[in-house]
Amino acid sequence: MVPRDPDAMGVQSDADDDFELSESPPFYAAHRSQSRPLIHSARNARQSRPGGSYNAASRSLDDTKPPRWIEMSRSVVSAPRFRRYVLICLGLFLVGWVSWRMLLYPRLQERSLLLHSLDPSTKTEAGGWFGTNVMPQFDDIVHIRTLDPELVPSGSAEVEADSSSRKRLIFVGDVHGCKAELEELLEKVSFKPNSGDHLILTGDLINKGPDSTGVVDLVRGYSASCVRGNHEDRILLVRRELVKTNTLATPEDGEESYLSSREVRERALARSLSDEQAKWLSSCPVILDVGPVPGIGQVVVVHAGLVPGVELEKQDPSSVMTMRTIDLNTHVPSPKKKGMNWAKMFDKHQSLLYSNLESSAEDPLSGTMTVVYGHDASSSLSVRTFTKGLDTGCVKGGKLTALVVEDGGKQNIVQVKCKDYLKEK
Amino acid sequence: MRSLATACWLYGLLLATIVSGVRGSTETEPDFMSVRKNVTREYKSEKKIPTEKYFHESSFHYHYDGRFANETLPESEVIPHLSALVQTYFSTMNAIGAETWIMHGTLLAWWWNQKIFPWDNDLDVQISEATIHFLAEYYNMTEHHFDLPDVDGGRAYMLDINPNYVVKSEQDTMNKIDARWIDMSSGLFIDITAVRKDENKRKNGHPEALTCKDKHHYEESDIFPLRDSTFEGVAVKIPYAYTWLLEEEYGPKALTQTTFSGHTFNGATKIWESTKRKLKRFLRQGWRGDDLPVRTSDLNPIIET
Repeated sequence: MVPRDPDAMGVQSDADDDFELSESPPFYAAHRSQSRPLIHSARNARQSRPGGSYNAASRSLDDTKPPRWIEMSRSVVSAPRFRRYVLICLGLFLVGWVSWRMLLYPRLQERSLLLHSLDPSTKTEAGGWFGTNVMPQFDDIVHIRTLDPELVPSGSAEVEADSSSRKRLIFVGDVHGCKAELEELLEKVSFKPNSGDHLILTGDLINKGPDSTGVVDLVRGYSASCVRGNHEDRILLVRRELVKTNTLATPEDGEESYLSSREVRERALARSLSDEQAKWLSSCPVILDVGPVPGIGQVVVVHAGLVPGVELEKQDPSSVMTMRTIDLNTHVPSPKKKGMNWAKMFDKHQSLLYSNLESSAEDPLSGTMTVVYGHDASSSLSVRTFTKGLDTGCVKGGKLTALVVEDGGKQNIVQVKCKDYLKEK
Repeated sequence: MRSLATACWLYGLLLATIVSGVRGSTETEPDFMSVRKNVTREYKSEKKIPTEKYFHESSFHYHYDGRFANETLPESEVIPHLSALVQTYFSTMNAIGAETWIMHGTLLAWWWNQKIFPWDNDLDVQISEATIHFLAEYYNMTEHHFDLPDVDGGRAYMLDINPNYVVKSEQDTMNKIDARWIDMSSGLFIDITAVRKDENKRKNGHPEALTCKDKHHYEESDIFPLRDSTFEGVAVKIPYAYTWLLEEEYGPKALTQTTFSGHTFNGATKIWESTKRKLKRFLRQGWRGDDLPVRTSDLNPIIET
């Protein structure tokens, strides 16, 4: 390290500032005479300013008299154009590097990971994939149900908007008892339950928010379809237990003292559901098969997700209601947030299938499956070609989202803003 | 198809008669529900750590109770005995209304095909804190007789509660198992572990922490509410987040790997097939309706007067 004159340093930086301030652009001077060192041609506000510490400092600069080549290179470096170019180059390099590091490289990496994971030849390597076991059966849980084909929109987009044959499917993400927002959303999509519109909820209608029973009654009134979310699953199991132990109507003495606050809340909600409401909720299947929708392919509704490549009948119900990520080796789904998003993998699986079918089948879309789901509020609205994530965190002040599918397979996203109901508490 | 339907119907009828028979005999006695109020309270732990072990493994094998046997069963006999253990245990607990569910390796076996692993020689169940207090109070050292198909004179089972169940501390490493359901004919048993509130963790910001003396820790919401399913042909309870619990305990591979311990999972028959023929036959046939044990003794709680 060579010790440098602190005064000289100070002047240098001050001078830089002045370059920017001077009225006539300095590089004109550089053009005029090229034989002289560039530094002399630079017009500087400092030179016209009388007296002060600047003069003293500039004198000390002259005194050191550095060798000519250093002066030359210094003048080149200090030339504004050179600096600008260096800056631009540096900037470009940085942008390039950052976009490679943050965008392109991870994408490529993810793509190759997914392709490797979905490659059938890796199945033996992994010792088997998820879904070979005998799917466990549970009392009171409907695993799969098929939507009445009458409700599904037709293939032709020519149907007039007000014609009686017009059909729409309106999928709505996790409502969590936000009745006002649901009503607002239905109004926004001009929902007409008696003229061809059918409402389908992706589960978690209840719990957390202000009016769970109100939401259940509202959608029951519209003869809506639904799937079983993890919150319905819990509350219905809790309610069943309360019925069995004869504590549905009257709580046990002092139960609040030994139950956790979550269990107290769950029991209260379970007790607030009428028999009809509970019956309706428990009729919601884990998987709703909408069937083939023209222009989209087969559409399936679940609360959380599906494991790619596993038949609907063999999907593990607990995982279907809770999964967020999936293990790349074994395809075992998991509720934890860290890891490969299941929807990315599912979407990749279906697009591979689609490109395979493209060459052989007349209508390749009909061989694909699109999943409409909720549950994962953390990743907000995530709509891919074959996966449509509609949970946008309504109950915590996000939005309530609807996916509207019309005749001809036209898809629209409609959203309304929500109040933050969790903050209030 | 028809024969299958008839078999199912017969099985259902049989199960109904067992359950109603047991229920009938206990109507006047305290069942778990009627005494629930007394047992759903905070349980204070005994502070003194015991210096003696209550359940001893036999000298010849750690999965046999030496008080009831001198030698291990022939290998082909183990699985049928374990199967009867599970069936009798759950039919008894269901009749009492006690809260108990399968866990660990037994849960993994349930996950694969709702049958015991052919290489297993132990079974794991858990019970709630309220249940262990209830069982200790009313059913400790009770004998239960069952008629079993192809077993002359049936078999007797005993519920033995470890008296150190009142010690909640994990430091009591010699009494990790809180109770046993013992096959008195062979010495085979089911390990019963109580799941308790983890008071220390709860004080430190984990309001749902649970703990067992075998040092397993859980979140309340992973176990409760329990689910209803079947295992070895009887109704059993399953912890709520079963897939997640298994993944955490054994890793994802345990849910997918189709070869294990000299056995291969046959994707078509859905059975873990071994090379040993006798066992294979039993596993292929599995349980049938008339294979289920039938209780022959009354289900009487001990009530001190």
